[in-house]
Amino acid sequence: MNENVIVFKNVTKKYRLFNSRRARLLSVFTRRIKYITKVAVDNVSFKIKRGETVAILGKNGAGKSTILKIITGVAFQNEGEVEVKGRVSALLELATGFEENFTGRENIYLKGDLLGIPKDEIKELEKQIVEFAELEEYIDQPIKTYSSGMRARLGFAIYINIEPEILIVDEVLSVGDKEFEKKCLKRVNEVIEKNNVTLLFVTHSTETAKKFCKRGIILNQGKLTFDGDIDKAVELYDNSIN
Amino acid sequence: MGTFINIIKEHIQYRHQIFKLAFTDLIKTYRGAILGWSWAIIKPAVTIFVYWFAFTFGLRAGRDVSGYPFFLWMIAGLIPWNYMNEMLLAGMESLIKYRYLVTKIKFPISTIPTFVNFSKLIIFSILLLIVIIIFMLFGFMPDLYTLQILFYALLAFIFFNVWGILSSMLAAISVDFTNFIKAIITAIFWLSGILWNTNNITNPWGKAFFLFNPITYLINGFRNCFIYKVAFWQEPLQLGCFCLVLLVLTIVTVRIYKKLRKEIPDVL
Repeated sequence: MNENVIVFKNVTKKYRLFNSRRARLLSVFTRRIKYITKVAVDNVSFKIKRGETVAILGKNGAGKSTILKIITGVAFQNEGEVEVKGRVSALLELATGFEENFTGRENIYLKGDLLGIPKDEIKELEKQIVEFAELEEYIDQPIKTYSSGMRARLGFAIYINIEPEILIVDEVLSVGDKEFEKKCLKRVNEVIEKNNVTLLFVTHSTETAKKFCKRGIILNQGKLTFDGDIDKAVELYDNSIN
Repeated sequence: MGTFINIIKEHIQYRHQIFKLAFTDLIKTYRGAILGWSWAIIKPAVTIFVYWFAFTFGLRAGRDVSGYPFFLWMIAGLIPWNYMNEMLLAGMESLIKYRYLVTKIKFPISTIPTFVNFSKLIIFSILLLIVIIIFMLFGFMPDLYTLQILFYALLAFIFFNVWGILSSMLAAISVDFTNFIKAIITAIFWLSGILWNTNNITNPWGKAFFLFNPITYLINGFRNCFIYKVAFWQEPLQLGCFCLVLLVLTIVTVRIYKKLRKEIPDVL
């Protein structure tokens, strides 16, 4: 039996909405400032085992991104417990988060450092990343000269090649052209099969979800409404839309 | 207390990244310019030159202080102020500048002001060396008191690191805070005795004010090394007051950090 790599136990995430930024600043020093609480994730619990492929389905604002951010470690729950084991690679907004004045190659090393990957490991992966991103001589040009497609390609190439244990794919693959999208999906498939990677996939395309995932989770207004077989999940989700 | 220990732990765990990012920050600031790195030195050097010119030929206002030309007395305080000024602003804006470290990858936000601080400290160290050289050109050789600049630089580093963590969180929440600090920075400059001697103040309230002004303490400290030749343990009252202010600032910072840490990624 495989171990749990992601555990959500009664997780709730609330956003505090203020009238203005100044009201938010004042709220640091006094409790008298009024605000509205918006619940983005409402008492959600699930467990994901190593090697599972899970699609997260839901309309805009259902809380998908918030859950992915909590797993990635860039957002924090207000209540409940979250446990994540292993190197998380999040393909969220790939085109951002580069140092503009640095070359593509320098950014590969910087990203590696920030993610805490040993230098010799990055050195080994460098060639693979450069090749996959198809940037050729552009790799030694500053990122600020890149097109958005080139940025996304480099971002994807870095995150997919650093050998993640948990791979989070948000609706990001649409930034490149069709051919690159295909190549990305193929690579995602390879990584999953070869390394027993856990995949979390967020998409509106239920066809792609079916192709990659065995399990489906449906979210509606922050609540988990279904967790089970992907075919059943897709059926329910499609019905809820129509 | 737990939060404070957490912040320290994060710093130890990410020390490698902190140094790496400090150099990245330096390179980032100066790359792209034809003169590149030299700008880091040229900018304050021009300021020093202008002051030297103005005070030596123009105003002829400053009298010698403890046997040192006014110009030397001035740069012994002005160069440390240059670092503090940078940290007051750059420390405050560090989270906004490095937004992607907060919202895109898992990274401890308390270390972001720290590496920006390191980056500024490197430039500050080079400038201090230049100050020592200028003193030598005027015929004043470094002595044991000069060694104390390490002590005061450490105090300044710690103080502005705490300030960086506090102010960067508040700046991330509201631009009102940023604008407020920018508006009062000239006031801070003139109320800290960078260009005039606070030791001449006789009013008791004024004395108390400067006793509890940490910037005054640091500036006077650097002047102790270069001009007055006073050892830091000879001014226990001033050192105690500085530590008290630092302690209060740290407590406030840790409390606000505890309150805001989880909210910062949502608002940036």
